[in-house]
Amino acid sequence: MELWQANAAGKYIHEMDDHVAPLDPNFTGQGRLVTDEDGRYQVFTIKPGAYPVLYSGWWWRPPHIHFSIVGSSWMNRFVTQIFFPGEPLNEKDLLLNAVPDKDVRERLIFEYTDTVMGDFSYIGYRRDFVLRGHRRTPEIA
Amino acid sequence: MRQVVSPGSTTGPYFPREFSDGSEDLTRREAHTARGQHLLLTGRVLELGAKPTWNMVLEIWQPDANGIFRHPLDARATEADPGFWGWGRARTAQDGWYRFKTVLPGTYGGRSPHINCAVLGIGLTRRLLTTIFFSDAPDAARDPVLDCVSDPALRRRLFAQRDPSLDEAGLPAYRFDIILRGEGETPFFVD
Repeated sequence: MELWQANAAGKYIHEMDDHVAPLDPNFTGQGRLVTDEDGRYQVFTIKPGAYPVLYSGWWWRPPHIHFSIVGSSWMNRFVTQIFFPGEPLNEKDLLLNAVPDKDVRERLIFEYTDTVMGDFSYIGYRRDFVLRGHRRTPEIA
Repeated sequence: MRQVVSPGSTTGPYFPREFSDGSEDLTRREAHTARGQHLLLTGRVLELGAKPTWNMVLEIWQPDANGIFRHPLDARATEADPGFWGWGRARTAQDGWYRFKTVLPGTYGGRSPHINCAVLGIGLTRRLLTTIFFSDAPDAARDPVLDCVSDPALRRRLFAQRDPSLDEAGLPAYRFDIILRGEGETPFFVD
């Protein structure tokens, strides 16, 4: 699993990010991990900030974390982004709301969990991923 | 309990470039150097109107020079080349060029020598998959995946071309341009 996100000010370490917000010298915004034998993952991070998108019209992206998941072979690649519950900007985000069905959108939002990770200084959020199966013999167009 | 599929999305523009650091070179693993013919696999990723794409992420995977994948499903995995990891990632520069250092893949199970390639990036809602073949005689090559493409002109687009003008430090260069859309479009797998 690979994940990446903006820092608390809504800025990525990336040459294409021209948002005026500052970089955080103590935060890379990226991580990698392998799920355990029960399929569980656990990440310690900070809540990302919102940032403006300045093309295709403009709007503020709500806080979100990008995930890229690779299965037992590199064929099983899955990419998505997960949002935080109760964020007013969620209602306006063009990407989250590109998913028309509200129940499906819910699967892109973390759930608060009172499971304690590490010490009590971390808020717990949970999101399970369900990966699509794929046909073993693809066709070529 | 019924499980419902998670919705996917694009990588967006900010896929960390550090995730690609060092992974353009597949010819080294731990303290070992890969066996076989080392080569440079390079080319451009172009969109409609032959416009170069910047910041596209390319991932390749392939067997070693003896045709063995470092993967539990390969019956010969224990004999895999200790110097070859078999997976790499590169990003296109502003002018659309990418570059991998790898080895000429070996053959296995009736396949022609080939490298699998995935393209991810902003604007691509699904990752694109194609296969890059290597042959001195493309029209004579036989391969079950290649044979899914019947038009000879389309088949030729799936072959990397030897291009001595791109050779570097004794490494023979093979050029493979990926055209996402428009004239000369690369054949991709249908997901």
